Amino acid sequence: MPAIHVSKLEKKFGDFKALDGLDLEVRKGEVYGLLGPNGAGKTTAIKVLTGLLKKTSGNAEILGVRMPCKDIAQRIGYMPQETALYVGLTVHQNLEFFGKLFGMDKAAILAREADLLKFIDLEKWRDELVANLSGGMKHRVSLACALIHEPEVLFLDEPTVGVDPELRVSFWNFFGSLKEKGTTILLTTHYMDEASHCDRVGFMRSGKLIAEGEPKAILKEAGTSSLEDAFLFYARRDMQ
Amino acid sequence: MNLRRALAVSRRVFMDLRNDKRTMALITIAPLFAMAIFGLAFSGEMNDIRVIIVNEDVGMATPLGQAYISKVLISNLDHDALDIETMNDLPSALAMIVDGNAWAVFHFPANFTNVTMLAHSQETEASTAVNIYIDMSNINVADSVMQVFNDAVQQTIAQSGLEPPVSLNRTAVYGQNADFMDFFVPGIMAFVVYILTTLLTLITFVGERTSGTLDRLSSTPLRESEIVAGYAITFSIVGTLQALLLLTVGMLVFGVSVEGNVVLAFTVIALLAIVCQALGILLSAVTHREAQAIQLIPFIIMPGFLLSGVFWPLEALPAWLRPFSYLVPPSYAIDACRSVMLRGWGLDMVWMDIVALVAFACVFLLMATLSLKRRG
Repeated sequence: MPAIHVSKLEKKFGDFKALDGLDLEVRKGEVYGLLGPNGAGKTTAIKVLTGLLKKTSGNAEILGVRMPCKDIAQRIGYMPQETALYVGLTVHQNLEFFGKLFGMDKAAILAREADLLKFIDLEKWRDELVANLSGGMKHRVSLACALIHEPEVLFLDEPTVGVDPELRVSFWNFFGSLKEKGTTILLTTHYMDEASHCDRVGFMRSGKLIAEGEPKAILKEAGTSSLEDAFLFYARRDMQ
Repeated sequence: MNLRRALAVSRRVFMDLRNDKRTMALITIAPLFAMAIFGLAFSGEMNDIRVIIVNEDVGMATPLGQAYISKVLISNLDHDALDIETMNDLPSALAMIVDGNAWAVFHFPANFTNVTMLAHSQETEASTAVNIYIDMSNINVADSVMQVFNDAVQQTIAQSGLEPPVSLNRTAVYGQNADFMDFFVPGIMAFVVYILTTLLTLITFVGERTSGTLDRLSSTPLRESEIVAGYAITFSIVGTLQALLLLTVGMLVFGVSVEGNVVLAFTVIALLAIVCQALGILLSAVTHREAQAIQLIPFIIMPGFLLSGVFWPLEALPAWLRPFSYLVPPSYAIDACRSVMLRGWGLDMVWMDIVALVAFACVFLLMATLSLKRRG
């Protein structure tokens, strides 16, 4: 059973088709990158999969559960594009709040918080208001909030936007360590160079996948040396 | 509904409020400021209204000497309410009104005392009158002037041992010693909670929507009803604390007295706060950013200000407008709080107001939950 299974997924906003028959399958324990320019439908796909938007038609399943279904929320983590934190609360208070929403008790939250703060290197900032943190720090806290309950499937919407290069490297290293623990990750990015860290990538354009596969295989098929050129190759082919 | 998650939301909102010093100031200082300003501005007591007295009364000879009823009447005028100047010349006094330098002229004719005394002893059919020339361009001032004068006339009649043709025996059933602040504090308690809770929830919730936290919450096991319940718990407590603060200051500073069960009044306030936070969430559904939320403020304040009865009784509204006051939740809370605190009424008497508030709460909570469930 795949972690995520999407078939003929359609999402319309008025007459505009944000998702136009999207087919997608993400295996368990895989890091899958959805790539594409702004407006390709990446964020819409994640929002439909996490139940934030209603699908117009088609089918979406997470861990075998047909979406939308609130019961799956306990097993998934979501990091939105915006930092989406309570800036009037401290780092600890944010983590504690989200931990409680997932039914964690105080001891479990504190233990998990210690691990996460160590990973995001914000141990010293535990009791600082989020409002006082830099943009990069807020991104790290946002990721930690998505991970507080150790989700089986993690949805990351543009997790590295606005993140400095050093931190981006540590983010990708961490995604790798999550994968080793069996976590499935579906992320979106428009940084083509980052996609080489993914097990598989899917190129999205106009609400559907135009190519999919391992990064090396995609490059080979397109006959290009960069994923950016490969995307242009597939985009031209799709237009024809 | 999972109560633990609802309490987590409630605690989160509390922490957010506690960490934000400006919001804390708004919650605590704004109600007191509103009570002080409105209380003083609307206290209904006017002072230093400039009037001119032209007294041509020559009095009446009595065995004890010359008597002047006009002088007794003048001394009985409320000298705090009126700023009295005496003039001898009526045309000059009238010019003071025409020039906007005085509100009224009291003119006592030469035979005032004489005719008054003879009329009383029924020795003559003649009658006399004080001529009052008054600027009616401000009806409130004009009414106050007439009220002060009438009070002085009643007092003078009583002092003179004269028998008025009709006497009024007023017995207060409620509010024997109540003054304006006694009437005002229960109203402002409900009014402040209505305004601040609605606005605070509206602004906070628009923030939830624009910052993406609402989306993040929606991806967790948290249900929409639990979000609404969490907010309701917080704001009902905040509203009750605000009412407690207002009442404490009202009692200590303004000498407000409470006749009934204050816990019942606080329960009413807590109910109103629940209604208002749900209204704030509902209104946030039609706004996309803070600037749009600010545009809604007049639509929140004006109905409460005009139709709730906080500043003037509903009987003062035109008959066609009065039914609209039933659509404004603070109307019920203000009525209930006044009945409890001024009349000493209990649950058996104010239950209809409470039922109305509970009905509003049920409908608004349900609508707020549905507005959160609505997805694009």
